[in-house]
Amino acid sequence: MTDDNDPMTDGGTDEEARTDGGPPATVPPDDETPTWSERKEHSQGLAQLTYQYFERSRREDEDLRAESTYVERDVLGFPAWPHETIRNLAIASFFVGMLIFISALMPPHFGHPANPGSTPAIILPDWYLYWSFGLLKLNPLNPSLAVLDGNILLGNEFLGIIAHGIVFGAIALVPFLNKGSARRPVEEPFWAAVGMTGVVLSLTLAALAIQNFFPFELDLLVTLTFLLPVLCGIITYAVLKTMREGYMYDLNRRYYMLRPPK
Amino acid sequence: MSLKKNDEMDHNAWLKTQDLTVIETAFLTTLIWVDKRLRIVDYLELLETMYYRANLQMPKSHTEQYDLDNKFWYWYPLYSLGSLSVLAYLVAAVSGAMLGFYYSPSTAGAAAQGDPTAAYDSVVLILQDVQFGYMLRSIHSWAAQFMVAAVFLHMLRVYFTGAYKEPREVNWILGVVLIGLTLFFGFSGYVLPWKQLSFWAAQIGVEMALATPIVGEWAAQLLFGGFTLGQATLVRMYILHVFVLPFVVTSLIALHIGIVWVQGIAEPH
Repeated sequence: MTDDNDPMTDGGTDEEARTDGGPPATVPPDDETPTWSERKEHSQGLAQLTYQYFERSRREDEDLRAESTYVERDVLGFPAWPHETIRNLAIASFFVGMLIFISALMPPHFGHPANPGSTPAIILPDWYLYWSFGLLKLNPLNPSLAVLDGNILLGNEFLGIIAHGIVFGAIALVPFLNKGSARRPVEEPFWAAVGMTGVVLSLTLAALAIQNFFPFELDLLVTLTFLLPVLCGIITYAVLKTMREGYMYDLNRRYYMLRPPK
Repeated sequence: MSLKKNDEMDHNAWLKTQDLTVIETAFLTTLIWVDKRLRIVDYLELLETMYYRANLQMPKSHTEQYDLDNKFWYWYPLYSLGSLSVLAYLVAAVSGAMLGFYYSPSTAGAAAQGDPTAAYDSVVLILQDVQFGYMLRSIHSWAAQFMVAAVFLHMLRVYFTGAYKEPREVNWILGVVLIGLTLFFGFSGYVLPWKQLSFWAAQIGVEMALATPIVGEWAAQLLFGGFTLGQATLVRMYILHVFVLPFVVTSLIALHIGIVWVQGIAEPH
């Protein structure tokens, strides 16, 4: 491999591409990482030995790969390094700064010690569990069957637990129901509408959880809890369908020329 | 592929043919020994490549590659929500470890119902006597809020940009599991100070567990240490919050990010 006649792998000595008398026609770009041979030439001692050994083990790997039947598969994605990682860390660090700033400005409230003897008027978890707490307050929907003399079939809490299972199950199923290469909401108004329905449902469920704060009747609130999300979904669908025409033209022109849809 | 030993790759024989000093021989022998077992060559090579690239021009970003409009950076914060939740998690871990130096998970010390317990008193100690303790609790609490908010918004971003689609289904499901664990992380932390709202939130948890048929009572025993709340509940929530969940969530996050790293970022646009 130290033979001078061997072709190098860095693309600089391609005889076919050479113009007569001049340098190689294929000029490597400035920002190309040095090849292993180049690195080897510039180093001495232990580093050189390391490279020499690396060359051998890399060749070993290449031989093994050439013999194997493994086929590389295309995955549509951008490398996480370096752009995405650096940009994410920069932006996220800013928000960590905001976190520390906010915790200096607004320290959380610390309430009274636990008293098993007195139930507080309003029991609430942290805000991020309001939707879950709302799911536990669906008793008005619990069917009371005539055959059971108006008794309920499922306990109210168990109904809430089933509702949790349905929510998590539905979310987990999404990638198996919606396939294809479409990425933007305008490309798939239906799934965008489903998403908006889910978002608004989580908000209305949170409102149901803090129902004590709403001045109107519970029946109306429960109705709104399920009506508003569907309404928002329909509006989203209509708006995206309307936007679609002009938007898709732009999108096709700019993007799908580079990556044709399957 | 033959399993016969390839003579050309007998590195030790190659080593013997070289005319080397003692130091060089020792170095290469060690290198070969480690590399045979751990195949560090690839990782060293990656390090080397990163070293060289640090001084060079960055490769084209996706906005340049696909000629997307320059105003795309408006959306960048939405694409870094995953990183934000990791950073918030780290902040919560560090501040939580320091809070753990002073917190004691015990309901002892209450003479009558509604008296402060040892757990409550230890939080009061943190708030009033520990240097920087007030800020520390504030940072821990806000870091949890930030993490949960970032995780929710991250899920919405992934949903509305279709980043969960084939071949990323596994990571989506992993993310759903992580959201559930994050919420439980928050819940168990909410219980620890043993204040009035902590107690009644835990009470709802027990009632939910008990309402589940077949596994309900077993789950209540496992998570809450019984059907009524007390010392056992607090200790279990404490161990879940500071021992079990950190290990589980950290390794799942590592897996989640590892899959993203291997599969590449879903084309953002």
